[in-house]
Amino acid sequence: MDDIIKSAKQGDHIAFAILFKENYPFLVKYLMKITMNPDAAEELAQETMTKCVQKLQLYNGESKFSTWLISIATNTYIDHCRKKKREKEWHLQEESFRKLKWHFESRNEEWNDTLSALGKLPEEVRIPIILKHYYGYPYEEIGKMLRISAGTVKSRVHNGIMSVRRELKIDEEAENRSNRERASKQGRF
Amino acid sequence: MKKQKIVAIENEHLNKADSRTIDEIIQALDKIDHIPVYSPDLHWFEQMILNEKQQYQKKLIRDLSLFFIIAAFILTGIIVSLSHKPIVFIVLQAAGIIFTASYTGLRFSRKVNDI
Repeated sequence: MDDIIKSAKQGDHIAFAILFKENYPFLVKYLMKITMNPDAAEELAQETMTKCVQKLQLYNGESKFSTWLISIATNTYIDHCRKKKREKEWHLQEESFRKLKWHFESRNEEWNDTLSALGKLPEEVRIPIILKHYYGYPYEEIGKMLRISAGTVKSRVHNGIMSVRRELKIDEEAENRSNRERASKQGRF
Repeated sequence: MKKQKIVAIENEHLNKADSRTIDEIIQALDKIDHIPVYSPDLHWFEQMILNEKQQYQKKLIRDLSLFFIIAAFILTGIIVSLSHKPIVFIVLQAAGIIFTASYTGLRFSRKVNDI
């Protein structure tokens, strides 16, 4: 285990602070991807860190510290979603995207359909897709993080990819392209 | 044989479409990764950790005190009822057992129905 983590576990506040400062941007960016909402990402990052202060003694160094952080952050977000659904205070999708879109515009970057398609997915599908295909975690590890079986993770990732494909009309594009190719081949003969 | 060939071609088409979708997703998420994130200074983190630890300790002390007070109250009640009115003690014990058993049974049957 890292020396800095050992020191933090022994109660060294400075080591703890360094550990958090190093991992903070990574954590916020991860949360931005799964929430699609920069404000919520910062709030959740701070809540995740407060949970880490209480739970650091439970960290055994089996996985990377960043993986442990992601796991706590993910479960904190899922708990929030459940609470919000229960309270029926679920914001409209467009409203939560607004701030992220604003960030894109301020950097002269275009908001694209893939982000909209990802945002439309339910969080229990979006999170495994991001963890699998962006962060490269194996299905088993994602399953451990989300407390579900690897098979469930696999099917959620698959269904999610299919939904994004449908939303982006990739199948239609591919079909049109193959039709065009076929037509041009026939024209040649 | 022909069927197998068609299935293989369809699978190849599906895999291509999947990998294109995954590429699109990665590119889109990369854009989010490039958004600059303001990280507070070290002192802010240190202060946050100290505050959190203090609050955690306060909460622990409060919870433990509450637990001991309630435990003392219940124990006093039981001892008094046992020494002065044993019948009340027996009724209380029986009510406790019935309540626990019925509550557990109800929860278990709900879980089974949910599955």
